[in-house]
Amino acid sequence: MMRNNLLTLASVGLAILALYLLTTSEGSSGLLSALTLIFIWGIAAVSLNLINGQLGILSLGHHGFMLIGGYVTALLMLPAKERRPFRTRLLSDWARDHLDLDKWLRGLGLDFIANSVDLKFIIALFIAGLAAALLGLLVGAPSLRLKGDYLAIVTFGMGEILRLLPNTREVAAFTNGPLGLKGIPGNAGTIWWTFFALLFVLWFFSRLKFSSYGRAFEGIREDEIAAEAMGVNLAYHKILAFTISAFFAGVSGGLYASYLQSVDTQTFNFFVTFFLLVAISLGGLGSITGAMIGTAVVVLVRVYGGFLEMPYPAWVSYLSGALIMLSAFAFSAYIRKARRLRPIIETKHYIFGAIGLALLLVAIIFHNEPWMTQTVQFFGMRKMLLAVILILIMIYRREGIMGRAEFSWKMIFGPREDIPTDEQRKQDAWLSNPELNPGLEEGGDDNASA
Amino acid sequence: MTASKNPSRSTIITLLVGAVLVVLLGMRIASLENYTFARIVQDFLNALTLGSLYALIALGYTMVYGIIRLINFAHGEIFMLGAYFAFYAMTLTPLNWAASLLVTIILGGAVLLVLRSLFNLEEPKRTFVLALLIFAGTFFLLTFRKLGWIEALALSMLATGAAGVLLEAVAYRPLRGAPRESMLITAIAASFFLQNLGQLLFGARVRGFNAETILNKSQTFQIGQETVYFTGILIVVPLVTALLLFVLNLFVTRTRLGKAMRATAQDAEVAQMMGVNVNQVIALTFFIGSILAAAAGVMYAIRFGQIHPLMGLMPGIKAFTAAVIGGIGSLPGAVLGGLLLGFIEIYVVSLFPTLSAYRDVFAFVLLILILLFRPSGLIGEDLTEKV
Amino acid sequence: MPLLELRNLYKAFGGLQAISNVSLTVEEGEIISIIGPNGAGKSTLFNLITGVYRPDRGDIIFEGERINGLTPDQVTKKGIARTFQNLRLFTHLTVLENILIPQHHRLKSSWLAAVLRTPAYRRQEEEMRKIALEKLSFFGPRLMSFRLHQPVYVLSYANRRRTEMARAMATGAKLLLLDEPSAGMNPKETKEITQIIRRFRDEGGYTIVLVEHKMNLVGEISDRVVVLDYGEKIAEGDYKDVVNDPKVIEAYLGRREE
Repeated sequence: MMRNNLLTLASVGLAILALYLLTTSEGSSGLLSALTLIFIWGIAAVSLNLINGQLGILSLGHHGFMLIGGYVTALLMLPAKERRPFRTRLLSDWARDHLDLDKWLRGLGLDFIANSVDLKFIIALFIAGLAAALLGLLVGAPSLRLKGDYLAIVTFGMGEILRLLPNTREVAAFTNGPLGLKGIPGNAGTIWWTFFALLFVLWFFSRLKFSSYGRAFEGIREDEIAAEAMGVNLAYHKILAFTISAFFAGVSGGLYASYLQSVDTQTFNFFVTFFLLVAISLGGLGSITGAMIGTAVVVLVRVYGGFLEMPYPAWVSYLSGALIMLSAFAFSAYIRKARRLRPIIETKHYIFGAIGLALLLVAIIFHNEPWMTQTVQFFGMRKMLLAVILILIMIYRREGIMGRAEFSWKMIFGPREDIPTDEQRKQDAWLSNPELNPGLEEGGDDNASA
Repeated sequence: MTASKNPSRSTIITLLVGAVLVVLLGMRIASLENYTFARIVQDFLNALTLGSLYALIALGYTMVYGIIRLINFAHGEIFMLGAYFAFYAMTLTPLNWAASLLVTIILGGAVLLVLRSLFNLEEPKRTFVLALLIFAGTFFLLTFRKLGWIEALALSMLATGAAGVLLEAVAYRPLRGAPRESMLITAIAASFFLQNLGQLLFGARVRGFNAETILNKSQTFQIGQETVYFTGILIVVPLVTALLLFVLNLFVTRTRLGKAMRATAQDAEVAQMMGVNVNQVIALTFFIGSILAAAAGVMYAIRFGQIHPLMGLMPGIKAFTAAVIGGIGSLPGAVLGGLLLGFIEIYVVSLFPTLSAYRDVFAFVLLILILLFRPSGLIGEDLTEKV
Repeated sequence: MPLLELRNLYKAFGGLQAISNVSLTVEEGEIISIIGPNGAGKSTLFNLITGVYRPDRGDIIFEGERINGLTPDQVTKKGIARTFQNLRLFTHLTVLENILIPQHHRLKSSWLAAVLRTPAYRRQEEEMRKIALEKLSFFGPRLMSFRLHQPVYVLSYANRRRTEMARAMATGAKLLLLDEPSAGMNPKETKEITQIIRRFRDEGGYTIVLVEHKMNLVGEISDRVVVLDYGEKIAEGDYKDVVNDPKVIEAYLGRREE
């Protein structure tokens, strides 16, 4: 295990070095902000993975937790000059004056903390996490009575209620309504802050996953009734998972608020949960590594997919449509061949192919016509792409990229413990073979194979 | 583990809660000064319309859930498509013959395929005649007429029905037999996809929907000294809804296919063993649900005068809540739930105008409460799982 | 004091009286078999004892304490564990994980201590692994070594049954309720299971209540046999006596037309 720990340390060191080089190189700001987003959403995805993946409960209200975290962080960290201007019409004076972390700290004489924005952020994020965790308790409670898709709908409803509340007059006293809170210090949204936050989160969740509690969660996922029969207190563990998950979701919400330097009622909507859902489904439900991989893919689509939504002459869209259709045709033919399904090409696939071919011909023949050269612009292509990715995963590879497996150094270097060595195989065969093992009853044993 | 709940206890609680609410409502009515009888009638008309619309959409949810235990998150988008199809049918016609030909071929072809597979129209002669009728009829309609709302409604219903069947074939059928959470996730993804597709194809901005008929002309009648204002649509919606429900009921109870649908809803495997083509039945369910949603979409657009690609979100949620209130899986339950929700929404906002900002929040709260405390709804069966 | 005492238990589901006035005493160290035709209520009895169902009337007393109404996990903590007729293993988890999870309830560390890997937690984790291997050793070396880290779904049926039994033992229970432990096993495997169950009692100190259909197994290891039919206890006693009891024969075979 020493070797594994050293390897981990070494790779963390390498990552830090790489990041440092990146920050000092020119023209890398785009990549850096993409990485920051990956780290922030990664924390949210890993926290969602605890419930959806490890515990096996579909929860659709995660955006609510992030919202709470974002707003609480914003309120606590809003600097004095942002609290006063006439712009904040709806925010109540009480909220403005009393929910000021700076004020509390100075009042307690902890000026040395109050002078450091970073230290203040740590405290603010912790409080934000706690606030979200409290809500996690509330959202987790229905999981004790409901299952499956009904529970999912309830969590969805709760998330949406949280999204709608900041707009109402009563709650706007704390959220400033649709105008939102602006001018949040951006320290916690920088690459280093988010990087180390992510490291902490990864450490925390992997420790949790490979502990007795992590096993208990997975037992509940596998078979709730059996888990209960084996002494696992379902209520306690479900609520625990929701609370921990909500805490870190709140933290990631706070980090995001700092990154954007503002929050409003549109920042955390259901699309956020959908985004995270695509990320963890793609990466593999139940796998922390998978959650990170999925988040990386999804964020990169979001950040670098802008080219899909730029204006192009119409024939380009016909051509790309044709290419998509034809590759879908080829892809499904390949899959069916690989899975030995008959017939290899079905009627509906021929339709795809035909449409693709038609589009291709039209694009080639007419590409100089005026109605082909005028520009079109497809907004929302990135979101549609994410939706299509999710549907494809559900249809073709529900377990995602990693499945439930976790990356470990054993994958590359280490010995595999679940495959018998020749020695073990011999002993196992000896066990089964009555000629060699006279103590055995007649007939032999059942597991002659590995 | 069984919750071991005595079913009648939950019923008693529901009735008690209902009684308390009615009393509170009565007290509130008495306390308001200007809440005259005319207002009650006004609100009643509005509520009946809104409730009918919810009922139509809720039917789609409840039918699909009853047959494949899927909450079709994308149903709200089907509703939206219905409104847009009618919109384009009314604003773009009459088309020039080339466009008309194109649309006829694509839409007509799609509808024909769908109808053929849904209703077992195998005989070549019959199919040919039907095809001729459909194609010719559509072509003439599109080229020579500016379509009125009734024709647009009919065309939209057919087109949206085909869209619903397409959705099922592409997104849900490959997941037949998958765990329900996976199907729900797919439905959510389909919903997002359709929303964005709508924004892409139709433009994200809100558009006006003018039916320019007697439906929109303001009428009044007197009750005592008060005037009640209404437009024709408030009469048409309940009538059309009642008609559609009547036809639906006939279909489900009297025809062979309707019987097959009910059988599949009870036990798909056994139905299959009895010779029911389950794929066809499921496609038919989506078709019918989408037709109803399209009708609701068109009438909703006429009533509120606007359409936009995200218009299906909140009505979808509310209709789903209605379906759950009535008892998901139960057709009369969906209608009851829809009407109930319509009435609750209109009257609560009318009686407590300060709460109107919480309209949507209430819908979600209601949904959560029902799922937590009475998931079988008002009419549905007890759904507690057994070990 | 008997280890387990069932006093006048009644349980109905809707109109069906599944258990009707069933009383039973189990002394520590005994092996009791419950037999009866299908539908007699044997699994329901297990579900009642383990807290899955609440009895309508009557008491369940374990080690002198009334345990009616406890939830299944609380019952397990008291010292009663069960196996399932149709196997309810954690299929995608490894054998080792399957044996560790039942020990979780004995963990004294909080989740925070687990995350921080305090020395106390680490000691308990070591203990749990030792106990896991100890329980698996009842079945010989076959489930130890490499099979420990294989997911349960690759295991053969008999191995899965063995894992399920080891799991029940790992809960730290004193009383094991085994629901058809030899279901699906061929005669050699059944013989082996019979020896193992006896070793559970002799070496492990467990008290065992079995539901079984295979009479040779029942005859060979039971101290006492209890017969249920339509939710009622119709006979109890030595295997030889019970098997020749005319009421029992009638329950299984029906009455001969005169």
